[in-house]
Amino acid sequence: MRDKINPRSVTVMAGLLLEGWALYVVGASAQRWHPSMVVEDETAAHILYDAMMRAMRDARSLSYTSVCSAPDDRVSTYRIRLKKPRFFRVEQTNGPSTKSTTLLDDGRFQWIHWVGDRPGLLLDTEESREEERSNVYVKEVSLAGKDSIADKMVLFGTAWLRLILNPSTFYEYPDPLEPYIDGIRGRGTNRVRGEVCDVIEVSYLRAQRTRYIWLSRQDYLPRELKEVVRGAENHVTVEEWSNVTVNGEIPPKTLAWSPPEGWRQWDLPKPADSLLQRGQEAPDFELCSARRGRIRLSDYRGKVVWLYVWDSGSPQCREEIPGLQQLHQGYSDKGLVILGFNCTDNRRVARAFLRENSATFPSILDPSEAATRLMRVGYGNRTKTVPLNYIIDPQGRVVDAWFGQEQDPERILAALAKAGLEVAK
Amino acid sequence: MRACELMKETFYRRTYIWIVHVVWLALYGGFWWFFLPDMPEMGRFLFIWGGFFLALALSAGIFGDDIASGRICILVTKPFWTGELYIYRVLGLSLQAAVHLVLAGGLILALHAIMGKGNVDGLGVWLLATWLLFNTCAALSTSLSVIVGRAFNSLLLLVIIATGYFTMGLMVTYLRQEASSGVLASFIRYPWPPFELLYKLAAGEWGQYTLTVGKYSVTKSFACVVHSLMLTLVYSIIGILLLSRREYSRVRD
Repeated sequence: MRDKINPRSVTVMAGLLLEGWALYVVGASAQRWHPSMVVEDETAAHILYDAMMRAMRDARSLSYTSVCSAPDDRVSTYRIRLKKPRFFRVEQTNGPSTKSTTLLDDGRFQWIHWVGDRPGLLLDTEESREEERSNVYVKEVSLAGKDSIADKMVLFGTAWLRLILNPSTFYEYPDPLEPYIDGIRGRGTNRVRGEVCDVIEVSYLRAQRTRYIWLSRQDYLPRELKEVVRGAENHVTVEEWSNVTVNGEIPPKTLAWSPPEGWRQWDLPKPADSLLQRGQEAPDFELCSARRGRIRLSDYRGKVVWLYVWDSGSPQCREEIPGLQQLHQGYSDKGLVILGFNCTDNRRVARAFLRENSATFPSILDPSEAATRLMRVGYGNRTKTVPLNYIIDPQGRVVDAWFGQEQDPERILAALAKAGLEVAK
Repeated sequence: MRACELMKETFYRRTYIWIVHVVWLALYGGFWWFFLPDMPEMGRFLFIWGGFFLALALSAGIFGDDIASGRICILVTKPFWTGELYIYRVLGLSLQAAVHLVLAGGLILALHAIMGKGNVDGLGVWLLATWLLFNTCAALSTSLSVIVGRAFNSLLLLVIIATGYFTMGLMVTYLRQEASSGVLASFIRYPWPPFELLYKLAAGEWGQYTLTVGKYSVTKSFACVVHSLMLTLVYSIIGILLLSRREYSRVRD
């Protein structure tokens, strides 16, 4: 037996295995979803989390610099100044660029302006990109802190990386993910730039998203945040806070702005403007199903299709899916097809989610480049917003389309009726 | 005894070697003294000078000189395995680097204590990463020395590495979206000396972008160490094979 084992071969095999393991560990994203990542709630850690939210909400003014970075060397820097009751100024730059986007609320109006030429925005049309480039600003009525600063900066400022902790929390803006916290646990203490911090781990949406937060013992505000979003690919973002000042004086002139002479107001295109319009043909596709096989849109010709673009990380989608399942059960024999479309999630996460909600309607689950491109270009979802709804008639033409939860049920009923479905009012 | 002599020879083979050590130590000290950098800047300086340039300087012509002078014929006819010659020379370089880096660490700590400014957080990890990089570069340069005449092995390695990383930098900047750039970047990242991986280890970037509380991700850091040791081993095996299969001449070049 001993003669058959060649020590050299064994050594080479062991070396290859070790190197294979090393390359896998170095190259792989270490945050692959696993059910054990769902965190059990710990009271002490929850108290720290609540203290952080209270510290944000109770402050009269708050200013800090936030640097968001990702492993691919992208960096977005935000300089944030917030003052109650409804003032704020956020300046954002990407990478080493000195060109900044400023979002400012002076209590009456919200202003967005850029240093130099504005960058190309997700919402840009070809005309606006060429013609409305220089010396322009956006003016909107102030929403008195009732809108999300973090989302706006990504949409309008083309920030490479989104802020993890929304500055709008300062104005008691509710975190839409808060109801979906699985649990919060303590992870001991750690130093951030010499300052001792308590570290907590917050798991959301059955660990589809996890945040680590380093909380200062002085003011209970974060000094560092780290977030992993487990989608088709795992995205890790780190947000580092510095120059944190609570209840400090913010000069009034920094919270005011008026357009310089010669500048002109530019009306931002709306995200819905880029969607397919009524009567246009819905592009056909053949993509991977959540179960086995492939799904073609043209297979449903002769039926009314409600194409529902969803993502398991979106609280709105989570709320709507059970309702859609009910519709599927009630109307599938009357010619309505609820067709889910997910091109962002990890397959395991999305399938687990569909199972939990007993969702049996057909759903596309395809994170391929083709599916993403189809949604962005073919169906006009440039901002990758979910949920997105398309009602498609039996001939494959668009009857109606809208983003988010439609507040008016009449609109949905009218669209379905127009598509040819007999619906009970 | 023979091992000891072979290793000592890597230090005594040229008079400029001890001068290189002294000059390099003076460079570290000068950089700290004049710029008073934080550890990340000091670590980067140490990493490049101690991990790469020091390896080039110490291994210049390590076999090429002997081959050019014809001395190699005497060495390889000694009654021992040719691979030993290679192994002890690389170990000799590695030992020199270890002592050099311990002295460098001591110097930085002493300057830190004297000046009372700056910080030395993570100095140990930077020194470890520098030593690992040194070993990989020294093994590659030594292997090149078997096939490249005189001291051109170091020059060639410098040109190859500089060209490779310049190309990778261009690709990252201008071809970020292209799928082929990812493949080429992986080719440069993994089989080449592990500059990027060890730098990320020392700078704590593996810990920063994984869900760990501390600065370093233990698993990823360990994988980086394993990969760099494996590369050193592979470069050395190539060098040993080349050394044992070449035919040498007593005639001086």
